[in-house]
Amino acid sequence: MTAPATLAPGRRSGARGAGDPSRRMGYVFVSGYVVLLLAFGVLPTVYAVWLSISNSRGQLVGLGNFIRTFADYRFLSAFGHVLLYLVIWLGTLMVLVVGLALMLHGRMRRTSAVMRFLYYVPGALAGVASVLLWLIMLDPAASPAGWLLRAFGWETLAQVIAPDHLPVLFTVIAFWTGAGGWIVIMYAALNNIPDEVLEAARIDGAGVVQTALRIQLPLLRKWIAYMLILAFAAGTQLFVEPQLVSTVSWGMISDSWSPNQLSYLYAFQAGDFHGAAALAVNLMVVGLACALVVVFRAGLFERD
Amino acid sequence: MRTNDFPWPRRAASAAVIACSLLAAAACGSADPGPGAAEPSTAAAFSPAPQQAGGEILVWADATRVPAVEQYQKAHPDVKIKIVTYSGNANGANDLQTKVQLFDRTGNGWPDVAFSTTFGDVAWASRNGAQGKQPYAAPVNRGVIEQSVLDGFAKGALDPCTVDGDVYCVRNDLAQNVLWYNKKLMDDFGYEVPTTWEEYQALGEKVAKEHPGYLVGTAGDPWAPEVYFWASQCPASTLTAPRKVTVDLGSDKCTRMAGLLDTLIAAGSISKDSVFGAGFIKEKADKVLMLPGPSWYGQVLFASTFKTPKNQIAAAVPLKFSADPTNYTGNVGGGVWFISSHSKNLKAAADLVTWVTTSNDYQATAGTYPAFKQAATAWLAGQKETGYFAEDVAPAFTEAAGLVWPGWSATQYSQEAIYASTVVPALNEGKTIASMLETWETAIKNKASSLGYTVDSP
Amino acid sequence: MRIMDSPAATARPRAARPADRPTSSHRRGGAGGGAQRARAAAARLLWTLVTGAFLVFFALPVVWLLLAPTKTDGQIIRDDPFSFGSLDGVVTAWRNLYSFQDGVIVSWLENSAIYAFGALLITLVTSIPAGYGLALTRFAGRRLLLTVTLLVMIMPNVALVLPLYLEMEAVGLTGTIWSVILPFSFFPFGVYLTYIYFSSTIPQDLLSAARLDGCSEWRVFTSIALPLSRPIVALVAFFNFVGNWNNFFLPFVMLPDSAQYPAQVGLNNLLTSSAVFNTSSGVGNQIMRPELALATLVTVVPVLLVFLFSQRSLVSGMLAGATKN
Repeated sequence: MTAPATLAPGRRSGARGAGDPSRRMGYVFVSGYVVLLLAFGVLPTVYAVWLSISNSRGQLVGLGNFIRTFADYRFLSAFGHVLLYLVIWLGTLMVLVVGLALMLHGRMRRTSAVMRFLYYVPGALAGVASVLLWLIMLDPAASPAGWLLRAFGWETLAQVIAPDHLPVLFTVIAFWTGAGGWIVIMYAALNNIPDEVLEAARIDGAGVVQTALRIQLPLLRKWIAYMLILAFAAGTQLFVEPQLVSTVSWGMISDSWSPNQLSYLYAFQAGDFHGAAALAVNLMVVGLACALVVVFRAGLFERD
Repeated sequence: MRTNDFPWPRRAASAAVIACSLLAAAACGSADPGPGAAEPSTAAAFSPAPQQAGGEILVWADATRVPAVEQYQKAHPDVKIKIVTYSGNANGANDLQTKVQLFDRTGNGWPDVAFSTTFGDVAWASRNGAQGKQPYAAPVNRGVIEQSVLDGFAKGALDPCTVDGDVYCVRNDLAQNVLWYNKKLMDDFGYEVPTTWEEYQALGEKVAKEHPGYLVGTAGDPWAPEVYFWASQCPASTLTAPRKVTVDLGSDKCTRMAGLLDTLIAAGSISKDSVFGAGFIKEKADKVLMLPGPSWYGQVLFASTFKTPKNQIAAAVPLKFSADPTNYTGNVGGGVWFISSHSKNLKAAADLVTWVTTSNDYQATAGTYPAFKQAATAWLAGQKETGYFAEDVAPAFTEAAGLVWPGWSATQYSQEAIYASTVVPALNEGKTIASMLETWETAIKNKASSLGYTVDSP
Repeated sequence: MRIMDSPAATARPRAARPADRPTSSHRRGGAGGGAQRARAAAARLLWTLVTGAFLVFFALPVVWLLLAPTKTDGQIIRDDPFSFGSLDGVVTAWRNLYSFQDGVIVSWLENSAIYAFGALLITLVTSIPAGYGLALTRFAGRRLLLTVTLLVMIMPNVALVLPLYLEMEAVGLTGTIWSVILPFSFFPFGVYLTYIYFSSTIPQDLLSAARLDGCSEWRVFTSIALPLSRPIVALVAFFNFVGNWNNFFLPFVMLPDSAQYPAQVGLNNLLTSSAVFNTSSGVGNQIMRPELALATLVTVVPVLLVFLFSQRSLVSGMLAGATKN
């Protein structure tokens, strides 16, 4: 455990008191960001939390909005959908992103730069830009991947987007757009590991797999934790993918498939910003709980 | 060491527990869903904002109607107009509502005139907005637009705009359903165009046997309920008061249509796809023998999307059930214009809306069938001139325009979205519509009550 | 690609260069013989198969999209997905696209560029020092700041739209470009990236040594951290740019005038006015699938350019000497 050794100097400097230059400069460094954080992060969040515990006449209603949304007929199905999606999505993302980044980092770096670019390209096609693409892609009759869809026995768009397929389908779409970006980040993180460390492992007789498991993965700990937290948050806030597939299928997917969509309906269809805020706070609490577990397990807030 | 190093999460956790219990105890108001629910839903008396003659008006329209506004601007150069292009709420978007909700909160920004492709917007636009703001839409019949102009619209055209006797929007176009058919194919096969649903079903079964693969309709479109069930007078949502709705899919008016569709789906002459799907366009478009559907199918679907050659497509009057005294039809869409009740220049706004909806200069060449009778006559003459259709569509269109069954109400929720997400996937799993009626009814009722409607079952 | 010139790669012993040396075991084994060579070949095959399969997965839809504007609407649906139409097709599609509201697509791109680059500048100026400060200086509230940052990253955006709108209205900024640029500049994602980068790249003892040498905190930042920060600047800049370029909802809510729309909001208008999606659009609509595909491609080009640009710095600046001492 190296923590005590590295923490020691910091501790001492922390004890030096308010006149400590490091401490004062710390505030200077974060000041610009803190202003933005307060204005566009904290203030809106606090207001949203206030919305979630009040009603349209500005009275405090405690957990009333939460109870009201729990009782909504769409609540359970939406959270159930997203839970299933999260399991599939997080598993796929972790394994494939880390695996692909390790592979691309391991050999043929010239080719891998091109690969990374090509893997990333779909990332530029987010949201509205990809509607047309999926409109064609998911319809076996016109799709470039029509042979694959037909191999699964799906002959029409409606069969492709049957309700049971949706969590996997959304994972595929989200992975297609998002994985390239994460691979770039992981690759950059792998570059951070000094060559000497890897070289030493090799001399000790570690194979590629052992090097990955014993050296590279532990050193990527913080980055993986970070990815996990964000991917989890993004997963609970699933919105774009169901909306997209709904658009290209003329509404064959419920407009409240995910909790975030439900929150949107509350706010902008029913004009109920309080219920919408309550749903959002639910998602935030779930996301935060998981994030804190990851943060402390991976030591994200510690310095190495 | 670790736990000592992170004292605060534990503190935060206990703080959170305390906060939660405080919250649960501190509830003093009731958690009602929103602005409208707790207040009387009927609109308060309309009180216009202080007027400014000659003030600039802000107009929101979709890309298709922006040219109409520009044409008006050209004809009236002294009127100050600012045009904003937006989605027009097409394809299930609710952009106008989203923005108006925000404007209601800040008390400014409302467009003086707004076009929407869906009259479902009337439901919210005629209700009080956030924080007790008066409804966004001005009741145009209360001295905003002259009654003589409103009287010039097709019979029933303003029904979806009317709430409690006040007219909250002006209809741009009608989308009355007719029976489209491919005259060339019908002649080749030696079939007669049916006039009743019974004949239609018999012909559908015959086609399935004699010419397998050819189609007489589609059930996979989101608007299938508006094509088939509306025509069958199925009470899917009938408003008895502005926020009170009756839903009864168990009625025999609904089951008769479900049975008809199920039979033809099983026979194979009604498709489970949507006519706009790439697969349908590629493989089925040239096998469409008949297709009950809205008036805009002619140009938008057959001419532009299917690219069916000239002189093949024709339209017949809507079908009738032989047991019914008259034939009824439904309606798929049809845009509306709103005038803002907050407008500071109602006169200019009203003049613009009157012009774009009634003037032959624009409507006679518009893409869709004008709701204003006089303009419709000119429009139909224009359709004849295109020479696309095998027969003049005017008689069928004009008759159908007056046959829209009034019992299918304009609601804030979209029947299309509910059908597409509950019934269509089930159809594709091999279930029948008849077996889905109950689920479908529940879906409508749930959606209606989630938007603050009181739902009655007869 | 510049990546090969990177210090990291050149610092490597010649023999260890992986480009032509498939596995380390091969080199290490020396006299290992046939079995090892077979294993190396198998590993290489596996590598090619896996990365190749994912290449197909990621790139195939993009290839289709690139081909789409060359065809007519009918060809897109009826012909083979990977057929090539004609270059004339692209010209026609561009002409139709450009005639949509008199070339409004150009002003969408301009607006997007203003918002995305404006926000990028503020983001870099605020988030790089912030990430550094969180990673390498000590101050009371550091942990609180990290937690609050995490918290707002996790809060669903739908709930923040109304508060942000009311806030902008209260300070009179709705409708100005600042109502978009300022919220875009708040980029907690980038602060975290910078934080993790600095905390796992620069050893504390390096800074302590500099401090002992009498460097001021500011000097430590500018002379040690900044030279090392090129990859993370590239990373943050890139993700911030892409996120903002692709953001739909915020500009949609904040901007009242269609002349101010960025590409994403514009594309949405284009999409909903096309007969492909808007059944009530009527006749004479020129915007069909080829035009939509072309519009999509035109709007993603800037993102890809920025990616290529930042990928150069991404790897080249890594480990410019620091951890070597």
